[in-house]
Amino acid sequence: MKQISLTFAAAFSVAAAAPDGKQLFTTNCSACHMLDQMVVGPSLVEMRSLYGGKQDDFVKWSIAPQKKRPGAIEMPSQAHIGEEGLRAIYMHVMQVSKGVTAKKQEKGDPYATAPTHLARPQVQRIFMPDASPAAIAVALDDTNSLCWDAGNCRLRYAWKGGFIDGFSYWQGNGSSLAKILGTVNYTEQASPFGRDQDLKFLGYKVKDGLPVFRYQVGEKMVIEAYSPIGGGLGFVRSFAIVTTAPLVLDFPAQSGVAIVANKGRLEGGKLTLSPAEAAAFNLTFSLK
Amino acid sequence: MKTATFLASLTLAAAAYGWTEHFSFENVATPPGMDPQVGAMDRMPDGRIAVAFHRGEVMFYNPADHSWKLFATGLQEPLGMLAEADGSVLVMQRAELTRLKDTDGDGSADEYETVFDDFGLSGNYHEFAYGPARDAEGNLFIVLGVASNGAPMAKEIRGAFSEIGQVDFNGMTARETWGKNKNTAGRMYARVKWRGWVLKISPDGKTMEPYASGFRSPNGIGFDAKGRLLITDNQGDWRPTSPLYDVREGGFYGHPASLVWQKGWNGGDPRLMDVAKLDAMQTPAAGFFPQGELANSPTWPVIIPQVAFPEGMAGQTVIGEMNQPNLVRVLDDEVDGVFQTALIPMFDGSPLGIGNNRMVFGNDGAMYVGKTALSWAGGKGITRIKWNGKEFLSLEKIKALPKGFALRFSQPLDSLTIKTLAVKRHTYQYHQAYGAPKKNEELLVVGGATLSEDGMTVTLDVGSLAERYLHLIDMTGLLSQEGGKILGNKAWYHVVKAPK
Repeated sequence: MKQISLTFAAAFSVAAAAPDGKQLFTTNCSACHMLDQMVVGPSLVEMRSLYGGKQDDFVKWSIAPQKKRPGAIEMPSQAHIGEEGLRAIYMHVMQVSKGVTAKKQEKGDPYATAPTHLARPQVQRIFMPDASPAAIAVALDDTNSLCWDAGNCRLRYAWKGGFIDGFSYWQGNGSSLAKILGTVNYTEQASPFGRDQDLKFLGYKVKDGLPVFRYQVGEKMVIEAYSPIGGGLGFVRSFAIVTTAPLVLDFPAQSGVAIVANKGRLEGGKLTLSPAEAAAFNLTFSLK
Repeated sequence: MKTATFLASLTLAAAAYGWTEHFSFENVATPPGMDPQVGAMDRMPDGRIAVAFHRGEVMFYNPADHSWKLFATGLQEPLGMLAEADGSVLVMQRAELTRLKDTDGDGSADEYETVFDDFGLSGNYHEFAYGPARDAEGNLFIVLGVASNGAPMAKEIRGAFSEIGQVDFNGMTARETWGKNKNTAGRMYARVKWRGWVLKISPDGKTMEPYASGFRSPNGIGFDAKGRLLITDNQGDWRPTSPLYDVREGGFYGHPASLVWQKGWNGGDPRLMDVAKLDAMQTPAAGFFPQGELANSPTWPVIIPQVAFPEGMAGQTVIGEMNQPNLVRVLDDEVDGVFQTALIPMFDGSPLGIGNNRMVFGNDGAMYVGKTALSWAGGKGITRIKWNGKEFLSLEKIKALPKGFALRFSQPLDSLTIKTLAVKRHTYQYHQAYGAPKKNEELLVVGGATLSEDGMTVTLDVGSLAERYLHLIDMTGLLSQEGGKILGNKAWYHVVKAPK
C-alpha cells in the first residue's frame, strides 16, 4: 500500500481566501465529470454514492488515482489542487449532487437505425481491424462487405454477414475499432501490383452507392470498382488501368476462393494483361 | 438560512437582465434518428447551412423552410469545412482533406476527391485533424492534433515513424506494456508526420509546405477580418491555459512534440529539452482563455458579419467553447506590430449551454452554433442565436497604453460607475505538466479613470503593463447613461508587448 501524504503547500501565492470548490471544480474537473451522467469519468451523483461521508477517501483517490473501470481512462493525479482545494471540491460535489438522480444510460447504439447507417450499399470511413488507420468499410449489399485501405491503396479483406458495428468508436472519441458483423471470407496479403510501390490515393466516386476508387501506382492510373454477388457469395472487381506496357497482377490462389478474370490470362495466381486488356477488365471473386 | 435567501434573491435579480433581452436562443431540429453531434459547419453560396455530423454525414439545412438535404455520407470525424463557390465542399476528416463534388447535379455528392493526405496517422484516437482555412491567394491551411498517451499507437500506421523519443516503435504500439511506457512516451506525442503542425497546401492541393509547429489539440483555425491566421489550442501539457495564436510562417507555438519533424532537427527528444530554451523558441500567445473562468476547451473562430450583431462588433472574431456555457469575443490590439488580444465572454448566463464546437452565420443574420461532446463534457445539436436589434452596453475596443488601457464602449457610460472598474493580473508557468495555476496574481491600484467627452471611452490608469501577464479588467459595476448593465463583464487582455 502506497503511503499518501495529505500535507501540501498552498498552491497559490494569493491564497488568503478559502478555496472556492465550485470554481476549482469548473477549472479542474468539469471536462470529464458531469452532474448526472458518466462522461469520461463518473457523474457527481455517482461520486456522492461512492464517497458520501468519506471525504478523506475522496482526497486520497484524487491525489493518487488508479485504474478502476475497464474501458475508462485513468484520471490524472489532481495533487496540484492541494488538500484544501480538494476538500472544497468534495463539498461542492456533495452539495450539488444532493437529491439528484442519474440520467438513465442508454444501452446500445441509440442511432443504430439512422437512415444513413441502414443504407445499402454504403461507404463508411472508420478505424477497422487489420488495416491502416485510413481504412474504408464498404457494404456492397446486405450480405457482402469489404475493407478497402486508402492508406495503401488495396483491398484488405471481405466478409459475409452484416456490415459493421461502429458504436464503440462513435460513442467515444475514436479510441476503438469498428467491429465486423460477419465472417471474413477473403483476405488479400498484398496489393496485386506488388509490394513497395509508389502509391497515391486520389479518392473515390460513388456510383449507385458503390465506390469507384482511384489511385496511382507509380505512373499508372488505376480505377477499381466493386459490385456484389447476391447472397454473400462474393463480388466482381472491375479495373481500368492506363499503362503502355503489359501488366502482371498478383491474385494468389486461396482455398474457398474462385477467381475468374474476363480478360488476360490468369495462371498460377498471376494475371497477365496487354495494355488494351488492362484498360477495362474484371475479376469475379466467388466466395463461400 | 437567511444568507441563502439573500443570495437567491441576488441571483434572481442578476438573471432579470442578460443576453436574452437582446438575443433569442432556439434549437434547430436535426434530422431524426441521426447522431446530432456537429463536427463542422459552413454557409453554402445559396445560403443553406452545410453541417458535417460526427458519424460522417454532410447535410444542408435550409433556414427558409427548416428542411435537411443529405449531401454526403461516410466521412470519418469531419472537423472542418469550407464551402466553395461552385457548390462543392472541402472537408477535413481524420485521414485526409476531401473535396465533395456533385458532378451529376442531383443534389448529392458523387465524387469524394482526395485533395491532400500526405501526413501520418498513428491510429491514436487523439489525432484529430482541423481546417481548412483559405487565405486570399487560395492556399489552404490545415492543422493536425497530436496523439494522447491515453492510448498507444496502432501496429499499422500510415507514413513514417520518428525514432526520436524514449519509447521505440514496439513500445509505442504494444497495448500490454502501455501502462509502463505511457509515462515516458510524452503526455501527448507526435511520432508520425506533421502531427502538431500547420500545413500550407497550394490551391490545387499538389504542393505542401510545413508552415508552423508547436500545436497540441488545435480545435480552431481561421482567418480573421484582417487576414491573420488564428488558431486556438487546448489547456494541457505545455499549455498552462488555453491559448489563442496569431500564426506566422516558421513559428513555434509551444507544444514541443511536433519538433521531431522539424527539418534537420537534432535537439533530441524535445520533451527532455531545457524548458528555458523551449520558452525562448516559442511565440507567445496573442490571447489566453483563463481555465475555468472563460474557457477550458476553446474551438473555432468566426468573423461577425455586418448587421448580424451590434455594429461595433462587425468584423470582430468570436470563438466557441466546449466546456463553459459561453462563447468568447476577441478584441484586437496591436503594439509595435505585435498582435495581442482581450478575450470577453459572450452569451454567458444565457440558455446557450456547453459543447459549442462550430459556428456559422446564416444569410438570415442568425448565428448557428453546432455542438458536440465526443465523450467529453459537451452537447449536441444546433442552437440558433438571433439578435433582436436592441442595442446594449458592451466593450467594443481596447487599447493598451503606457500606463493602462483605453476602453471604448458601445454606449455612453454613467460616469459615476467608472470608479468600479478593477484590474488584476497574473502570469503562468510554462512547463510540461498538465495545465498551470495562476502565478504572481496581483490586484492593480487604479490611479484614475477618466471618461471622454462623448462618455464612451474610459482611460484607465493602472501604471505600467507587465509583459506576458494576463490582465483582467472587471467591468461588472459599469452602467450606461440609461442605467443598462454591461453584457460581457470581464476582459482578459494578454500583454505580449507593453507600450512604452
